[in-house]
Amino acid sequence: MAEDPQRNFRSHYYEKVGFRGVEEKKSLEILLKDDPLDVEKLCTFAQRYPLPTMYRTLVWKVLLGILPPHSESHAAVILFRNEQYQDLLQALQVIRFVQDSTPQVWVYLRMYQLESGTLPRHPSQSLGPEDKMLIAIAEAMEEMMENDVDAYWLVKCFVKQFNNKYGDSLPHLPKSLEHYLNLEDSKLLAHLNSCSALSKLPYDVWFKHCFAGYLPESSLQRVWDKVISGSCKILVFVALEILLTFKMKLMPMNKAESITQFLLNIPQENTDAIISKAIDLWHKYIGTPVHSV
Amino acid sequence: MTQPVNVSDLVLLLESTNLQMYEGVKGLVVDHLRSDRGPLLVNAIVDHYLENDSLPAVQILSAVQEPHDKHLLDRLNECMGKAATRLSAVTLLGHVIRREPTWIHKLFRAPVLVSLLKCLKTETEVVFLTTGVLVLIILLPMIPQAGKQYLLDFFEIFGRLAAWNLQNPGKVPDVYLIHLHASVYALFHRLYGMYPCNFVSYLRSHYSLKENVEIFEEVVKPMLEHVRIHPELVTGTKDYELDPIKWKRFETHDIVIECAKVSLDPKEASCEEGYTVMPKHFSTHSQQKHIDHSSSPFSESQSSIGSASATCTPRTTFSSLPGSQTQCRTLTSQRLPSEGLQDVLWSPSLSCGLSTPPSSRGLSPTSHETSQSASCLPPRVHSTPVGGKGQSTEPTTISPPLPCPAVGNELCSNLVTAAPSRKDGKLETGKPLKRQEHVTSGDKGATDSPCKWKDLETENAKTVSLKELPEVIKGLNLQEYGTEKENEEAAIADELSEITSLKSLVIRGGFDSPFQHTTEMLTGSQIKREQEFVYSATEQELHPELHQVPFIVDKAQELRTNKKGFVPIEKPNDSYSGSIKQEVIKAESTSLELHVPSPLFKVQALRPSTLGTRHPLPYEHLFELTLPKAASLFVKQKTTELQKLTGKQLEDPPSSLISPLDVLDKLIQQGGDAHVKELSRVYPGQPEPHIQRKMVRLPLPSKSADWTHFGGSAPMDELHTLRNQLILLHNQLLYERYKREQHAVRNRRLLRKILKATALEEQNLAMKDQLKLQELDIGSLKHSLIVEQDQYQQLRKEKESIIVHLNNQIAELQKDRDSYRASCQELQNKLQDCQKTIGELKLELQKANNKACNTAYLLNQMTEKFTSTQSVQQQMEWLNKQLLLLSEMNKMHMEKLIHSQMGSAQAMETEMVQATLIREKEKMRNRIQQQVQRMEASQRRIIELESQLNKKEHLLMEQKKYLENVKNMACGELQAAESRYEAQKCITQTLQTEILELYSMLEQTGPPDKMPTAENTAQSVEERSENVISESINISDAENKNQQAKPPVIPSTSTDRSPNRKAQPPPLVTELMDQSQDAPSICLAQPTTPVTVGSYPSSKSFLGMRARELFRNKSESQCDSERPKMDSLLDSLKAECHVELGSSLGPLKLQVPVEVPGPESVRQLNIMDYDETHDQN
Repeated sequence: MAEDPQRNFRSHYYEKVGFRGVEEKKSLEILLKDDPLDVEKLCTFAQRYPLPTMYRTLVWKVLLGILPPHSESHAAVILFRNEQYQDLLQALQVIRFVQDSTPQVWVYLRMYQLESGTLPRHPSQSLGPEDKMLIAIAEAMEEMMENDVDAYWLVKCFVKQFNNKYGDSLPHLPKSLEHYLNLEDSKLLAHLNSCSALSKLPYDVWFKHCFAGYLPESSLQRVWDKVISGSCKILVFVALEILLTFKMKLMPMNKAESITQFLLNIPQENTDAIISKAIDLWHKYIGTPVHSV
Repeated sequence: MTQPVNVSDLVLLLESTNLQMYEGVKGLVVDHLRSDRGPLLVNAIVDHYLENDSLPAVQILSAVQEPHDKHLLDRLNECMGKAATRLSAVTLLGHVIRREPTWIHKLFRAPVLVSLLKCLKTETEVVFLTTGVLVLIILLPMIPQAGKQYLLDFFEIFGRLAAWNLQNPGKVPDVYLIHLHASVYALFHRLYGMYPCNFVSYLRSHYSLKENVEIFEEVVKPMLEHVRIHPELVTGTKDYELDPIKWKRFETHDIVIECAKVSLDPKEASCEEGYTVMPKHFSTHSQQKHIDHSSSPFSESQSSIGSASATCTPRTTFSSLPGSQTQCRTLTSQRLPSEGLQDVLWSPSLSCGLSTPPSSRGLSPTSHETSQSASCLPPRVHSTPVGGKGQSTEPTTISPPLPCPAVGNELCSNLVTAAPSRKDGKLETGKPLKRQEHVTSGDKGATDSPCKWKDLETENAKTVSLKELPEVIKGLNLQEYGTEKENEEAAIADELSEITSLKSLVIRGGFDSPFQHTTEMLTGSQIKREQEFVYSATEQELHPELHQVPFIVDKAQELRTNKKGFVPIEKPNDSYSGSIKQEVIKAESTSLELHVPSPLFKVQALRPSTLGTRHPLPYEHLFELTLPKAASLFVKQKTTELQKLTGKQLEDPPSSLISPLDVLDKLIQQGGDAHVKELSRVYPGQPEPHIQRKMVRLPLPSKSADWTHFGGSAPMDELHTLRNQLILLHNQLLYERYKREQHAVRNRRLLRKILKATALEEQNLAMKDQLKLQELDIGSLKHSLIVEQDQYQQLRKEKESIIVHLNNQIAELQKDRDSYRASCQELQNKLQDCQKTIGELKLELQKANNKACNTAYLLNQMTEKFTSTQSVQQQMEWLNKQLLLLSEMNKMHMEKLIHSQMGSAQAMETEMVQATLIREKEKMRNRIQQQVQRMEASQRRIIELESQLNKKEHLLMEQKKYLENVKNMACGELQAAESRYEAQKCITQTLQTEILELYSMLEQTGPPDKMPTAENTAQSVEERSENVISESINISDAENKNQQAKPPVIPSTSTDRSPNRKAQPPPLVTELMDQSQDAPSICLAQPTTPVTVGSYPSSKSFLGMRARELFRNKSESQCDSERPKMDSLLDSLKAECHVELGSSLGPLKLQVPVEVPGPESVRQLNIMDYDETHDQN
């Protein structure tokens, strides 16, 4: 890729100088031109750079396996996916789990349940934690995607992948958060410890829901880029950065409840900056993923 | 403000005789005027003036400042409205405007001007009119812009007053008319000078009317004769004249002078530049006329010398002519009513004499000269100065003789009588007489002195023709007057000659051409008048002489002061009247400087004289005629001097020109004399007939009433007239004074200009000096330039020589260069040849190298061959050895044979064996050869096949990759499909459960339709539980079936694989109940849809089809091209096999076992290409 003549030779220096995202779109386009898409490369790219909005959906789909690497079969696969969605929807409508008035998120939930065979006997049954997570993610995804089918599939595959891939490492994330917080700002950690708020931090929202509904969409997309491309550690760093950013506000708080309450309702203004810093931190500690050319 | 009353009262105190008090009061009034803005005080002063004619009031009022001007003008306007105060109001206005106050420009908007104009148009009171006109004349240049508004009024006033003289609507005394006329004359000049175009057009329109023609002829035309053409008539327009912008450029005195410039009247005219030329010319004309005139009577007089009648007759004849003509000249006619021609018309002779010679300047130098010369040569002094004067006036010489004879004839007493008579009034006229007297008195050098003088002057004289005339005249004179007068005449002639010589330019034409021809209308009439005058003069012989006595006295005084040689004149004076003498002495005693008698003096001087005052005038005019220019010039000068001396007293206008002004002057003079005489007569009471005669002629209204005779007081009317006359005179005086002031202003300005001019001249001189210096500089610079040029030339020459030298050198060098170039060319040619040869050599070298390479290559080949041959040789040697061994064996065997040849059979046998062996050996050799060939062929074949194999492998690899690709793709799709299928499964499951639930609900809630049996119910429950499992499978089956109809992708593969399922009827949900029994079997038969994605693409499967298509595209071309080749190879191999098989009949010993590739092997080779096999299949 470095030798690619189509790329501007200056692009190697943009990063050094501090420019970002100058050539990313172009390189992504080059990546997307390969006929059997190189999923590995796409993964690396997504980890390394923020995805351009216009290609985000496509890349996510490919990374999550909704679309095969072969672009030839995309049409057919999309057709399948559509039909499957329609079938599911129809079935749910038939069994009256879904009405026209049912919110789209619930439709997604029911579909997911139907597909995973966990559809409750009655729609009124209470939701499990997984369902909540799905609803949260689906809400966020629905915001991001225009197409219901895409949204559903992304939700489904995202949840599946998340559960399959990171299901094991999820319980360890709070620990690693503690670890990195110690490295970054031990005072804050001490303060949190002293308040015994560390255990009461909103881990569910942060890690299980992947910040869905917690961060504004634009920021969330960038986090999810990393998650989808195969790193759940980013969640830790986002959480860490949130803590660091609001340190000044957290320090005076002594009650764990108030801290939790505040962290659950953080201001939404400069989340982009938080995410950028978090990604920097992530790169700093995990290291920039190397392109396997 | 408590003071106004007091101040008003104070006004009365202005008349106080106490000087201190007067000053104080005046100061108070002025202060009050300064502080107070009200009209009260001004009005009071005006009233005071109107009542008392107070001089201090005039002084104060004329100095009145800005805020009061309005009050003053208003007050004056009021007064102007009342007939009683009109005159004093106008007089006051005149006083005020003569001071030229700063607010004068406001006047033309003030109502007082309108009312003044109105009064002038309507009033019949001559005194007022005269005063008003004079005020108007003074006012006009001050407010020139008023012309626009009131121009027509001015013109109307002019027209009315001009007509007055003829029509005399007011029946006023003639004396007034003269004053009025003089002022109208001045108005005429002013209007003509200021608004020529408008004025002329007005005149044109106004006098083109028939009723006005007479007025024009009588009044206006003579006035027009006193002006020259105004330049504005040519260049200006009516509008431009009235343009205020034009007038802004002029100051008051500018306008006055401008007006004077266009006048030809010496009294009015300006002496500034532009004037002098014209009058000169004019004067020359008149001179010519005089000369002509004087000469003609002179010639006449030649015939009749002695008789007075003779002298008189020609004059009468002349007089008759002018008499008729001069009637038109109202001015002149008016002047001398005593002539008796008409009561209005005055005999023109007087005016004629007065008018003709316009005064000219430049006399002062001559007079100065006279004084100088007089001091040098006392006796001849007179002649010389006269000559000096004569320069300008020829008639002087002629005129003396004319009166002389007349006087001589009439008054036999002596010539001296004539002399004083001539002298009177005019100094100049007196002088020639004196001279004559001197001459006559027995100065022998009379002839000498003129001659001398002539000698001095003849340098200038250049024309002989001119001199001839005086000579002729001289001769005539000599004849006439005899010895006594000879000298005198000679002197006169000499003078004449001098004059002519000096005046040659002007006079020449006059002398050459007949004088009468050149006479113009104007001058002609004048001449006649002159003659007439002469006549009248002769008529009244005594009067003039006596009348002029005082003048003589004055002149005498003057002359005496200036010249010592005047004494002789006194004698005749003495002899004539002791009174005169007394007066003269008196005058002498008073002071030398007192040249001119003040009016008092005059009066006193005249008092004793019994002669008429007016009579001397004719002589005067004659003399004026004789000395037109110089005389008038001198007169002017003298008058100005006198004026200066006498201060602001009455002018003594001695000029005798005919302009109305002159007439007025005369009138004043005469009037003064008459008055004095009257008074003297009243007091001494000595009436004389002469005087009575004079009185009759006087224009006084009471000429008939000889009240003086009766010794009673003069009647009021007379007194009133006289008083009015006095007022008029005063007005005139004031007007003249005003003019004089304007001239003074002008003079100051001109003086400044002169100073500037002299300064500029000096500057010019300095500049000239500088110029000279610079010229000197230029000269030196030119000199240095020449030197430099020489140097430059030298340098140039040197440079040229150097250049030539260098050129030569260059030429040589060029030659050298050419030769070098030629040699160079040759060398280059050689070089080229060499290069060519080198190239050839190189080519040869290359060839040789090639050859060497070839040979080396050949050598290598040869060495290879050689090695091969060596190996062959070695083989050969080995074979030879074998051969040798064999031959030795053979020999041995032969020996054996020979040994054993005992038996021939044995020998035969051995021979045969030998032969077979040889044959066998050869066979073996052939076989070896064949084997080697076959080996080679097979090896080649192997190589080919290997390459083919590689290709195939490559193809396979590609295909595998592609297959992998496709597999992946299909995998992806399949995964999608699978997930879909999973989803479907889930869906069906849920649906089934739903349905089951519904059923159960149905069964439980709804009343059983056909309740079978209790057992059945139990069974049905069991069945149902079973069905729960089986149904789901069925449904999925059903779904599959359904989908077969929809998308053909998956079913296409599965249908082929499970053909048995085709037979199966599609299970419908409705049939589920029936099929529930068969469910297990179906369940078993359920296809797992194992999609065989084999490595071998079958032509029947869809994927296979596609793969094959793709594959064929890639490999078919290769395979097709190779096939014929391989076939041929096979054929050849087969043929070889056959050959070998056929030839393998020879001994097996030498036979190398060779595998013959059968058709199977060939097939094996072909197996690689399964396409081909397929094709074959």
